[in-house]
Amino acid sequence: MSITLSTAHSVVEPSSLAKRSAGFIVILYALITMAPLFWIFATGWKTPPDSISYPPKIVFGPSLEGYCNLFTTRTRQTADYINALGPPQGTCDEVTRRREMVIAGASNYAPRFVNSLIIAFGSTFLAVTLGVFSAYAFSRFKIPLADDLLFFILSTRMMPPIAVAIPIYLMYREIGLSDTKLGMILLYTAVNVSLAVWLLKGFIDEIPKEYEEAAMIDGYTRLHAFFKVVLPQAATGIAATAIFCLIFAWNEFAFAVLLTSGEAQTAPPFIPTIIGEGGMDWPAVGAGTTLFLIPILVFTILLRKHLLRGITFGAVRK
Amino acid sequence: MSNFESLATRAVEATPPALSKAVRGLSDKTIAWVFIAPTIILLLAINIFPLIWTIYLSFTNYAANRPNRPITNVGLKWYRDILGSPEVWAAMQATAHFVFWTILFQTLIGFGLAYLIDRKFRGHAFWTTIILIPMMLSPAVVGNFWKFLYQPQIGLFNYAVSFFTGIDPSSFEMLGSVKLAPWAIVIVDTWMWTPYVMLICLAGLRSIPGYIYEAAEVDRASKWRQFWSITLPMALPFIMLAVLFRGIENFKMFDMVVLLTGGGPGSTTELASITLKRQAFEAYRTGYSSAFAIILFVAVFGLANIYVRTLNRVKQR
Amino acid sequence: MKNFVTGLITFRREPWETLAVVIIALGVLMLLQPISMTLYTYSFITTLIGTVMFIIVTKFPE
Repeated sequence: MSITLSTAHSVVEPSSLAKRSAGFIVILYALITMAPLFWIFATGWKTPPDSISYPPKIVFGPSLEGYCNLFTTRTRQTADYINALGPPQGTCDEVTRRREMVIAGASNYAPRFVNSLIIAFGSTFLAVTLGVFSAYAFSRFKIPLADDLLFFILSTRMMPPIAVAIPIYLMYREIGLSDTKLGMILLYTAVNVSLAVWLLKGFIDEIPKEYEEAAMIDGYTRLHAFFKVVLPQAATGIAATAIFCLIFAWNEFAFAVLLTSGEAQTAPPFIPTIIGEGGMDWPAVGAGTTLFLIPILVFTILLRKHLLRGITFGAVRK
Repeated sequence: MSNFESLATRAVEATPPALSKAVRGLSDKTIAWVFIAPTIILLLAINIFPLIWTIYLSFTNYAANRPNRPITNVGLKWYRDILGSPEVWAAMQATAHFVFWTILFQTLIGFGLAYLIDRKFRGHAFWTTIILIPMMLSPAVVGNFWKFLYQPQIGLFNYAVSFFTGIDPSSFEMLGSVKLAPWAIVIVDTWMWTPYVMLICLAGLRSIPGYIYEAAEVDRASKWRQFWSITLPMALPFIMLAVLFRGIENFKMFDMVVLLTGGGPGSTTELASITLKRQAFEAYRTGYSSAFAIILFVAVFGLANIYVRTLNRVKQR
Repeated sequence: MKNFVTGLITFRREPWETLAVVIIALGVLMLLQPISMTLYTYSFITTLIGTVMFIIVTKFPE
């Protein structure tokens, strides 16, 4: 029987035709699913008239106007005024003057982007630090009601953001954290720490206990063993967890739009407010979206082996 | 590494228990609590304290834009209002439409894709990574750029539809029409989150050991039967996991839809979270919206319990 | 079915948990259904009962 099994084409190894047609459909799906993304990336390189032409322009002369408009604010001027100015300084100046406008100053995109960076990295650092200690404790020690505590930690992530935002809004107003980076960092830390604890617990569970035990026999204290043995072993897991937290904080919109208005506003609530003359400035939106999404694309590719763990809170590993 | 382990075992055997305990310094129990406490304190401050406050506010007439008005107890008035309001019920049905169809499409397409990827054709790992990209993006930014794709005159979506069907691209508005807008948000959510369902289904399919299929082959069970009696039942806990999580997430959907339609046209795509946001941050009916928040929270919390139960089942596999 | 009933009577975790899950699911369905206003009105209390019950019964012996 075993001989016939090995020569027959088993289910584990599908026929080459089945493979090829499966591949065809999946690749087709992948290409269709990428089309919207390519479109918005391409729009960033179009001129405003090209971006709203019909039929949509697939071939177009690239222009930096979208990126220029993204980073600047402009005012309309008469042709005489513009002619009276000296020669244009740099590409953006030239592009703007062609539209009978002059650059008035820098837009808010760069500061919003920096806010996004500060808040995302700050909250990730805090969440992963808190998470790695808690995860270690949950993984190694007998903690009374551990399952309930873990559920409690996870359930905080499940809460509807708008429901949480109401009291947070009142509380932050009371203690002066409204529209501050610190307030947003604390809030995102609280949301991310649940993911960090669950994910890191999964990673630390996989490190054999014997490693620390051996180290402790060699005279290390528990704390020493944790820092010198467990942390290096968990490095990959910590990195993956950190990237997940970063992506969440980077993408978050509901809290940001409700609790920030200026000083601490992040990029996601800002991008939809990019408006040109007479409606949305789509090339600038395209450019802003491109710059905002590229870090996520890079991180997704780095994370691909750990994505499954990340989206199931560490429960499914392979 | 094995050297290290054997050394460890030998060392453990050679050390008297009293001595090994003494060198540990801080007791494990202390360390455990010191390690866990900061997390718990943070969550109590940022999540639980506000939650309790919301419960309290839901019984009062408090309004965030009039903080100096004396607070009076209104009892269960807001709960009765919300649970008797046809408008809120309509918002729940808009949510239900969104949740039901997104889950249905995502499960069908996601499982189908996972099944095909599991054929392990050449380059499947690369294409899987490509397919996963949409789910990592910011829902708000996605909503914003799909608004561009849905523009009736210039948008790629209308152009593609007219290219393949011949319908005039300016004859329909995905976001402006009462009939189409609820489907417009379903399409975007399906585009974005099908990869999520796919990835979990793929894990489910890969968790099925090959020998079960081999045994079925021996019994000459048809592929069709194998699918219904092996593949589907064994992947079911994973599918449940994906469905529950998408259900919870879409039940509280806010960001993507707010940027795509803002709840319109009229209130056709006004999901529960959007109604809640309007009441809380535009009408400043804080008491009312707190009660609403608690109603949504209890539903999500109940589902989260079921989710974690499923999660533990899957973990045991 | 018989096991289920015996389990309920002897306060085993499994059947009670299943019951709580059914009640929660029922409450959520009542919240989202388009058929009856009365069902919608009582959805919240149903979900609440199911959830509280779930928390209690997970402490029952296996």
